[in-house]
Amino acid sequence: MKHFEDFRVGETGVLGAHTITEEEIVAFGKKYDPQPFHTDPEAAKATLFGGLIASGWHTCAIMMRLSAEAMRRAQEAATGSPGVDSCRWLKPVRPGDTLTLRREVLETWPSRSKPYGFVRTRAEMLNQRGEVVLRLVGVGMVRRRPGEAS
Amino acid sequence: MSDLVYFEDIEVGQAQRFGHYEVTREEIIEYARQFDPQPFHVDEETARRSMFGGLIASGWHTGAMLIRMVCDHAIPGTATSGALGFDDLKWLKPVRPGDVLSVETTVVEKIESRSRRDVGTVKVESRVVDQRDQAVMTLTSLVLYRRRSGS
Repeated sequence: MKHFEDFRVGETGVLGAHTITEEEIVAFGKKYDPQPFHTDPEAAKATLFGGLIASGWHTCAIMMRLSAEAMRRAQEAATGSPGVDSCRWLKPVRPGDTLTLRREVLETWPSRSKPYGFVRTRAEMLNQRGEVVLRLVGVGMVRRRPGEAS
Repeated sequence: MSDLVYFEDIEVGQAQRFGHYEVTREEIIEYARQFDPQPFHVDEETARRSMFGGLIASGWHTGAMLIRMVCDHAIPGTATSGALGFDDLKWLKPVRPGDVLSVETTVVEKIESRSRRDVGTVKVESRVVDQRDQAVMTLTSLVLYRRRSGS
């Protein structure tokens, strides 16, 4: 299992990829973000974006999915998150785009009172052209190795 | 001439309260199975033994519920064109089945675009609260509004 003590500042990883379909974009848009450029390929053409684009919250959700799969593969002792410092939707995400998650550890510090530590990471989602479509700096909680927490 | 609310019409300090989102066990699990399959979001038994003491919604699901309430109540009648992102998001309190969420927003800043004459950015602080009026999530969004003069 990968505990808090095992995270190193500067460690980077490419953590999986997901190709997004028009059906997925529309389904998420209809359920959570019903604006024409997320739900209607025809109406989207007349908007600022010139076509259907994924909700930014959908891109965040896909990032979470890729993170969760990576955490499971690495058996990270992850136990939630207190929040996100910043998130920018830098480029539209369109049907057929393949998104790859890149993550870098920026900072780690132990909780003073709880048996876990905090890990600040920068996550970037890149499309198939290598363009960064989403950049996020956030904090995760990771349980400490048994016996290490004081 | 439409009577949409454009960038020029927004005033710093404007506040709104809206939304009524009933959080169900089924929706928590459905969202989490698709996007955030950590045990405390998808499995009630494991969640009971976790530090959360029961099933809780993915924080990203709370964000999705927020944007749904914004789409239903705050966007209609406005000349918004999406958002650049957000800052300082805090998940303050677990969201559990049976919670009823609503939103409080305040405009905190207007930023003219240096590169684009057709839009401006409005910084909006949002507070998602539960049925006990306790904040479960807060964030500051950067919302794009079209300009009346640029349209």
